Amino acid sequence: MLIHHFLERSAGSYPDSIAVVHEKNRMSYAVINRTANQVAHALIGYGVKPGDRVVLVCENSVAYIIGYYGILKSGAISVSLNPEMKPTGIEELLNELEPKALIVSSKYASAIETIDLDRLGVRLLVITRPTAAGPAALHSMASPDDLLPSQSGHDPDLPIDPHTCAMIVYTSGSVGKPKGVMLTHANVVANTHSIVAYLELTSQDIQMVVLPFFYVMGKSLLNTHMAVGGRVVINSQFAYTASVLKQMADEQVTGFSGVPSTYAQLLFKSPLAQYRNRLPALRYCSQAGGHMPKHIKLELLKILPVHTSLVVMYGATEASARLTYVPPGMLRAKIDSIGIPISGVRMSVLTVDGSVQGQGEIGELVAQGDNIMTGYFRDGDSTRKALDANGYHTGDLGYRDEDGFFYVTGRKDNQLKVGGHRINPQEIEDVIIESGQAIECVIFGIPDPLLGHRLEGLVIPARQAADVVTDILKYCSRRLPKHKVPESLMLIDVIPKNSSGKIDRTESVRLFNSLRKD
Amino acid sequence: MPDYKAEVRKFIADRFLFGDDKKLGDNNSLLESGIVDSTGILEVVAHLEERFGVKIDNDEMIPENLDTIASIEAFLKRKIF
Repeated sequence: MLIHHFLERSAGSYPDSIAVVHEKNRMSYAVINRTANQVAHALIGYGVKPGDRVVLVCENSVAYIIGYYGILKSGAISVSLNPEMKPTGIEELLNELEPKALIVSSKYASAIETIDLDRLGVRLLVITRPTAAGPAALHSMASPDDLLPSQSGHDPDLPIDPHTCAMIVYTSGSVGKPKGVMLTHANVVANTHSIVAYLELTSQDIQMVVLPFFYVMGKSLLNTHMAVGGRVVINSQFAYTASVLKQMADEQVTGFSGVPSTYAQLLFKSPLAQYRNRLPALRYCSQAGGHMPKHIKLELLKILPVHTSLVVMYGATEASARLTYVPPGMLRAKIDSIGIPISGVRMSVLTVDGSVQGQGEIGELVAQGDNIMTGYFRDGDSTRKALDANGYHTGDLGYRDEDGFFYVTGRKDNQLKVGGHRINPQEIEDVIIESGQAIECVIFGIPDPLLGHRLEGLVIPARQAADVVTDILKYCSRRLPKHKVPESLMLIDVIPKNSSGKIDRTESVRLFNSLRKD
Repeated sequence: MPDYKAEVRKFIADRFLFGDDKKLGDNNSLLESGIVDSTGILEVVAHLEERFGVKIDNDEMIPENLDTIASIEAFLKRKIF
């Protein structure tokens, strides 16, 4: 089975069901699939062959979905890039990818045009938002004529080996160049089936999508809902949380997904509490994309509608998205856990020399399964570091408890030494959030001649008051040993994040240093 | 009465556009145009609260209040008077 078969099968079973809602547009499975087929035939007509890379630079929209499945159907490898990247950053990746074609949405066309694509031998196509004529139009730079109407709307149905690369997904890596994770059709199909199973998704499910499709988590929301014949509602204006909640109520969404910062914003800067009785259809909220403090989870359990479960999940781009999840009934008992492996995944805790750690012993989390990537694109060194006979090395440290639940205690490369103590900043961040005085925070080590590092941090305060920092530090002193209490904290409005919404620790330190100089 | 529009424009230009407000029309969507991202809107809200002493309620987090300089001005005037 191939990834685009999910869409094709649902277009067969539910042709008239609404697959995608975006702003005023409501598009059925039949229309999405037919237009994606036309995109595929247009690409094939341009000489795109299986194994060629085709890059998509497009915001979350109907056009994105049509472009994404169109590329897969043409047999090419689909590469979605973050459209907010600067043209120089995109050009760097194009040099590495050597794509045959680049499809850009009209919104980003003028930025992309500044790149010398002729030198790279890349054909540029522009995909537009829905018009009266159709759900999308595709045209070359030379002519505004829509290329799609003359193309066949039938599934191209190319024979493609499921074990060949289907997509390259760039990680958000805050340090150094992003890495291109190569995922096969089989990887993504396996993971999609597992996610559908544990979330018990059906054709009745409607997902509110506020996360970008160009990352793996957004893609998994799309693939899983297309697989079951469900619906995605796209809202790219999460900053306006009151509007997002209103749309969730109006569209009767059954699922919402976010990263920790999404939920911090929902708790502290949205009218979620007022919506407690206005979201009768909302079955679950899922969270991935990094550690979410216990305090936030418990607050969400209090404030979400009683029938809404919170599904905490863990994964990686290298795992096609998902590795573990906490069954909602176990969340309170295992509040700090990342859960149990999803079906098809085996997780182990290994020492540096590769031997298996026992229950409660800390080591690196290593995963095996049909969903694990084949490697990083044109980066053999990184591939050899991440993949070996034991599986995919997540770079996360953790342990397994007596019930088989896994826990992450920190990043392998993020351990701080303070006065001889090994410290995991996550533990301190959790205590600061637990104080109830902070919306978000980040703790890091600043080099110190005496201690090795001293702990400093940035905090978004929950209230504007002069004594917030003192209160937080007092709370830390009550809850933590002295060496884990930060030296000082700086109050700030926004903590630097990368485009996937994860806290950018490197940028946070830079900001801290520059503010301190002022 | 302070010139809300000019003050908000200056804040957004200084914070997100290196002081260059040429592309910043009164009716341009801040999110759509990519001038401000999702977390940036929170900075704008924090700034408005601090600078003008207003409290922006959770259910006021809608584009009609905050997505253009013109709508922010109108919103502030409604809040303050």
